[in-house]
Amino acid sequence: MASPVIQVHDLRKIYMVGEREAGVLAAVRSLVRRRTRAIRAVDGITFHVDAGEIVGFLGPNGAGKTTTLKMLAGLLHPTEGDARVLGFRPWERDREYLRRMTLVMGQRNQLIWDIPVVDSFELNRAIYNIPPEAYRQTVEELVALLELGPLLHKPVRNLSLGERMKCEIAASLLHRPRVLFLDEPTIGLDVTMQRRIRGFVAEYNRRTGATVLLTSHYMADVEALCRRVIVIHHGVLLFDGALEALVERFSPFKLITVELADLPARDLSAYGQVVRQDEGTVTLRVPKAITPEVTGRLLADLEVLDLTVQDPPIEEVIEQVFAQPEETTLATGNGELRPELL
Amino acid sequence: MHYLRLFLTYLKLGLLAELEYRANFWIQLVQTAMELALALGGLAVVFRHTGDLGGWRPAELLALLGVYFLIGGLIRTMVRPSMQKFMEDIRKGTLDFTLTKPADAQVLVSIQRFELWKITDVGVGIALLAIALGRLSDSVGPLQAAMFGLTLLSGGLIVYSVWLILATFSFWFVKVENILVIFMTMYEAARWPVTIYPPWLRWILTFLIPVAFATTVPAQAVTGRMDPTTLGIAAGMAGILLVVSRAFWLYGLRFYSGASA
Amino acid sequence: MTAILTPFQNLCAIYRGFFRTSLAVQFQYRVAMLIWLLGGIMEPLVYLVVWTTVAQQQGGAVGGFTVQEFAAYYIGAMLVNHAVFTWIMWEYDYRIRSGEFSATLLRPIHPIHRDIAENLAYKVLTLAVMLPAALLLAWIFQPRWAPQPWALALFPLALVLAFFTRFFLDWSLAMAAFWTTRINAINQAYFVVLIFFAGRVAPLDLFPEAVQRLALVLPFRWMLAFPVELILGRLTLAEALGGMVAQLIWIGLGLILARTIYRAGIRRYAAFGA
Repeated sequence: MASPVIQVHDLRKIYMVGEREAGVLAAVRSLVRRRTRAIRAVDGITFHVDAGEIVGFLGPNGAGKTTTLKMLAGLLHPTEGDARVLGFRPWERDREYLRRMTLVMGQRNQLIWDIPVVDSFELNRAIYNIPPEAYRQTVEELVALLELGPLLHKPVRNLSLGERMKCEIAASLLHRPRVLFLDEPTIGLDVTMQRRIRGFVAEYNRRTGATVLLTSHYMADVEALCRRVIVIHHGVLLFDGALEALVERFSPFKLITVELADLPARDLSAYGQVVRQDEGTVTLRVPKAITPEVTGRLLADLEVLDLTVQDPPIEEVIEQVFAQPEETTLATGNGELRPELL
Repeated sequence: MHYLRLFLTYLKLGLLAELEYRANFWIQLVQTAMELALALGGLAVVFRHTGDLGGWRPAELLALLGVYFLIGGLIRTMVRPSMQKFMEDIRKGTLDFTLTKPADAQVLVSIQRFELWKITDVGVGIALLAIALGRLSDSVGPLQAAMFGLTLLSGGLIVYSVWLILATFSFWFVKVENILVIFMTMYEAARWPVTIYPPWLRWILTFLIPVAFATTVPAQAVTGRMDPTTLGIAAGMAGILLVVSRAFWLYGLRFYSGASA
Repeated sequence: MTAILTPFQNLCAIYRGFFRTSLAVQFQYRVAMLIWLLGGIMEPLVYLVVWTTVAQQQGGAVGGFTVQEFAAYYIGAMLVNHAVFTWIMWEYDYRIRSGEFSATLLRPIHPIHRDIAENLAYKVLTLAVMLPAALLLAWIFQPRWAPQPWALALFPLALVLAFFTRFFLDWSLAMAAFWTTRINAINQAYFVVLIFFAGRVAPLDLFPEAVQRLALVLPFRWMLAFPVELILGRLTLAEALGGMVAQLIWIGLGLILARTIYRAGIRRYAAFGA
């Protein structure tokens, strides 16, 4: 593809919220002059996504993920900046654009509660004006991929949460969108169902070449689906690059797990920070730079049965990223970070 | 064409949903019967003591009652359920789904839900009208019928526009359902010809919460007391309110998506 | 000083507690509350206009009511209805379906006390709107009434009895929520009968003889029309006293009914759950 499918340039969304102090007097005062405060939900982010990419959008609650997603889906006007998706400016809500993208929200339903799933599908067919032949084919395909066969003719209220989510996703894809915005698509589901939905998104992306932008609290989703992640925090882009690079950059530590012969083990805090210690197994957190040296000392000093060196789990890395105070979390562009963070 | 098909699809879905709760049909029938008993009983008591009420003869009030049931039934079948769903969608955030659809959001919002069993009210309204017209047949010609159709359409559009305006307030306020209660309460007053009310109340029912156009005016058309001015005001009011409600809706929508922020 | 309270003092304390919390809660919903009041003002106003029109057409009076007397009747009916009405059916429908009723059952006190206290709290709070509304209507419609002093003296008692006549019957009906989720049809049937026989569509004097006789043996007249007629000075002393006896009889029957249905309802609730 010549130009990226999603282009975001210096996008900003600033909300003005009324502020009120407690007390009757303050309430009366606010009638005359409302004090407002600017919430910078999204504060100037820039990125591109190429056709067929699956990009994970990470950030803690309130980081600006959903606001960004809503701007790209045409639901919110930005305060400043620009964005193009498939060449359209989303918030102009061009019918052609709406026909080519979809938004899935894990916590919200569009299916009609009291009637069978397939009838809600019919409704979307009418709204999107899908030709009968294409509709039949898409439904067949989705039913096969998501194993919807037995669910189609049940009323939505009789479905489990996971079954409902599968049907929600299918309903959102009937018009074969080229761009998918998935906001927490697996939230609240059990592990098996999460895995199935993940598998489906990957498969859909492979088959149709659709571009996917996904937010999730479950790192497993991100690890399984996204080679690339974009991290935002306090409305600012913190990192944009490969998932491995994120770990590499943000975690200056390695985890060394040693299994020792002589239990109870001696105090190992001289070698590094003890993260876990049970039976004969001890896990140490060690600065990356001195990992080889510490490993050597451990092997020399102790009777080691087994030793492994690992990157910390992705959740922990992310947690560390978000633990940074606001002023130090400044990004400088693609995959680049300010040195003091490292 | 596209929107007509959408309308029919929603209608079908409404029927499907109602068929899930078949007992509701009988309950609705009881409620309609009770409503009818109350209305007819009221008329019966009044006409025990007088030959006409403010110039309205029994058959003419029956026609008014027919229009009252007809429009009320349409509100309860089509307008109210859709507007309630819309307000619920704003609260739950599911309005986003509607806004990401490639169709006019006002149209989608306005036809998205039907409570078809409430159609019993419409049926009763038509029956009452038929009986009344049978008795008034000497005074109803093609001209009256045409004016009746026009004023009924205007009344329906006025009622829809007012509901849309009231519902649009939920972009700013959370609890708007209560405003809708005001409308239904005032609509009850429209069961009687507004011409009998004192001027201040007539003014409220005509211009502030314009239920008069939905019941009294069409009934005037069918009982041969329509003058061109009233006809013009009804049609003009319908046109103005349609435009105003559309503009207000778009303004609310812009506020929702934060264009003004 | 932990003096042991008599059961009556204890009940009073409980009522004060319920009353205070209800006031606080309802004040939070004041806008909704005001809007719900509108129905209670519009209905008498509409019928007042209808009957005023009829009376004027008939030369100033109909069925023994002049235009001014209709005004007095409907303003009185509006206030009495405000005092006696309940919304308890919807309350129980909600409580039982949402499971909130289980918490009520855990309290060592019969739930009807909370319901009465809540009802009174709402009435007191909304009197702030109903009284000005009544005064406004009085200013517009110029009512005329000439009650005897003894009627004025008896009125408060008749009003309290009317409240309980209606409350126990409404409350018994509310218990239907234990058996069915479709209470709307039942309620509406009940209300239509009530609206006629309580004298809300028209003063009972304007109905045919048969209806008036039927009204004597039904409970509805004693809930509304009776206290209104009393304070308007339209009853003899004998009629007034007889009416109060009728009220007491219906209160007794209502209590028995409420008790019986409540027990059966609780058994069913315990057996099937919410």
